Amino acid sequence: MPSLSKGGGFRDRQVFAQLQEYITQVVCTDQGGAASSAAGEVICWRGSELHLLQSITEQPVDCLAFSADGQYLAAGCQDGRVRVWHDLDLVITIEADQWIEHLSWHSSRPELAFSSGHYVQVWDVAQDQVITTLDFVESSVLDLAWHPVGDRLAIAGYQGVKIWQDWDDDPHVLALPTSTQAIAWSPDGKYLALGNFDNTLVVMEWGNPDPWIMRGFPGKVRALTWSQIIKPATAPLIGCASAEGVVIWAKDKDGGWAGHLLEGHIEKVNAIAFQPASLRLASASDDGQICLWQKAKKLEQILPASPEAVTSLAWHKDYLLAGTSGGEVIKWSKSTQGFG
Amino acid sequence: MVSLQQIPVTVLTGYLGAGKTTLLNRILTESHGQKVAVIINEFGEVGIDHQLVVGADEEIFEMNNGCICCRVRGDLIRIIGNLLRRRRGFDRLVIETTGLADPGPVVQTFFVDEDLRDRLLLDAVVTVVDAKHIQRHWESKEVQEQLAFADVILLNKTDLIPGAELELLSQRIQSMNALAKVYPTHYAGIDLGQILGVEAFSLDRALEIDPEFLHEHHHHHEEDINSVAFTELQPLDELKLNRWIGELLEVQGGDIFRFKGILNFAGQEERFVFQGVHMLFNGKRDRAWQPDEVRQSQLVFIGRNLDAQQLRDGFGQCLA
Repeated sequence: MPSLSKGGGFRDRQVFAQLQEYITQVVCTDQGGAASSAAGEVICWRGSELHLLQSITEQPVDCLAFSADGQYLAAGCQDGRVRVWHDLDLVITIEADQWIEHLSWHSSRPELAFSSGHYVQVWDVAQDQVITTLDFVESSVLDLAWHPVGDRLAIAGYQGVKIWQDWDDDPHVLALPTSTQAIAWSPDGKYLALGNFDNTLVVMEWGNPDPWIMRGFPGKVRALTWSQIIKPATAPLIGCASAEGVVIWAKDKDGGWAGHLLEGHIEKVNAIAFQPASLRLASASDDGQICLWQKAKKLEQILPASPEAVTSLAWHKDYLLAGTSGGEVIKWSKSTQGFG
Repeated sequence: MVSLQQIPVTVLTGYLGAGKTTLLNRILTESHGQKVAVIINEFGEVGIDHQLVVGADEEIFEMNNGCICCRVRGDLIRIIGNLLRRRRGFDRLVIETTGLADPGPVVQTFFVDEDLRDRLLLDAVVTVVDAKHIQRHWESKEVQEQLAFADVILLNKTDLIPGAELELLSQRIQSMNALAKVYPTHYAGIDLGQILGVEAFSLDRALEIDPEFLHEHHHHHEEDINSVAFTELQPLDELKLNRWIGELLEVQGGDIFRFKGILNFAGQEERFVFQGVHMLFNGKRDRAWQPDEVRQSQLVFIGRNLDAQQLRDGFGQCLA
């Protein structure tokens, strides 16, 4: 086990909520957060006041996301429905015919994109009407992400990514000889990172026809996160989860990307997330361990989260949230005296 | 979570109308006390098979088709990943590759994908053949591949052809795929113990090759698909064999559907067992050779247009 640096100090562990099954997602806003389970439950909270938005349905909720302003919460479920809440009230239920596996909100407008099979629908939630339906064609949609500042919608699946800017135009296609299962825009919107089945990471710079291809991963690149902070590199850092490894990529002065492996996990890494406005990275694995990495380099703290797998992570400005396969939603806050 | 038990997976293939649905219904109704999840790889015949599947304690999930490895992998991970999250999960998974689909990509996915490899155990590829209609479909690439990939072949609808013809048919199929167990059936009537729990892909069971086949040197070679087997008493050089297999799969991997081997390496006290599909394989050191056991290497390939002499020559270069 690598030695730990000082600091970190996330010592107050609290089981914040206990749901019936596997936590499929935890998400945060400035005001609070939400979590969903494979039993179909959806909870949300503001401060410490917990609300049950949806009780057990036996139909797993696969995806959960707050709108950019934090006003709406959307959940996509295996019963083929997307439900949208506003101030704890269910305001819209959209029906599709297949599992809803991914959803993403527009960066400023109350517009929601979600996938169902190989289609993606875009809804205007304020008007409760469909804006467009996109067909990925090549396969089921494996991920989707709305650009953090603009109108571009990226959709991933078999043979790479398609990016729509204008619904009536053909999408921009980044074709790969594999399937892309995870995508993430950098917070400045300049780059799109693609995690692929063939153990590669591809990074596309908008306007640059030649993407970078990073190899040498121990397995498929299953999860991605970007830092909000750019220093010390010339672009935000990319964190990747692949098998038992966490790999950080930083853009160097020569325009290339350099990677380094963070060693600390013994089992498969399921989730990673940079703390907002920081280079602190959290990574969580199948054996229930969470590692905190100082400046995306040095292992500063190991949080023994759970005897079960940690399946999802999210940062709030004051705490770290983790969901487990046993249905626990766990919260770590900094203990006041331990800090430093 | 290393301690999790692996869930067995049966891949069910067969030409349209061969009797897959009948077999699937039997699995669902007769697997008492087991929760069986079924994934149907829809391929053209939307809904028809679906309605015929009887209700038991099962759930059916549709894949969004596709016959290319990566796409199949994406869909399998998507569906199976979701299934595995449920606490009241399932005890067995049956993947039906409907109609014309080549089972190769589905089987390969279990070799390639780390998540599926960890959580699932590929039990067997079961191919259902319509004994009468196969006579008209020998040329079909898919029929040939379904036979080549099979661990168990049900020669179904045996009532429709005379006994002598059935015997010839059985021999012909066995000559194409020497590793498969071939059973004549009527209405897919077979003891489910013969098709479930076979563990044909488990390395521990990798080598149950019919000794008859290993010692037989002449086979019908009119078929595009054939099996080639060797035995060798002289120990092998591990490095040479690795190099040979690597080069062989690189050049001919597309035509080699299945292969299995148990090897006697010079200087090793343990058996080395391996098996693979196309370019992918896994292997490991197995138990030690027993004192009363004939220390010999055995190797079987099933593929398209395999040149037995060329393979034998290549293998011959690997002796220590």
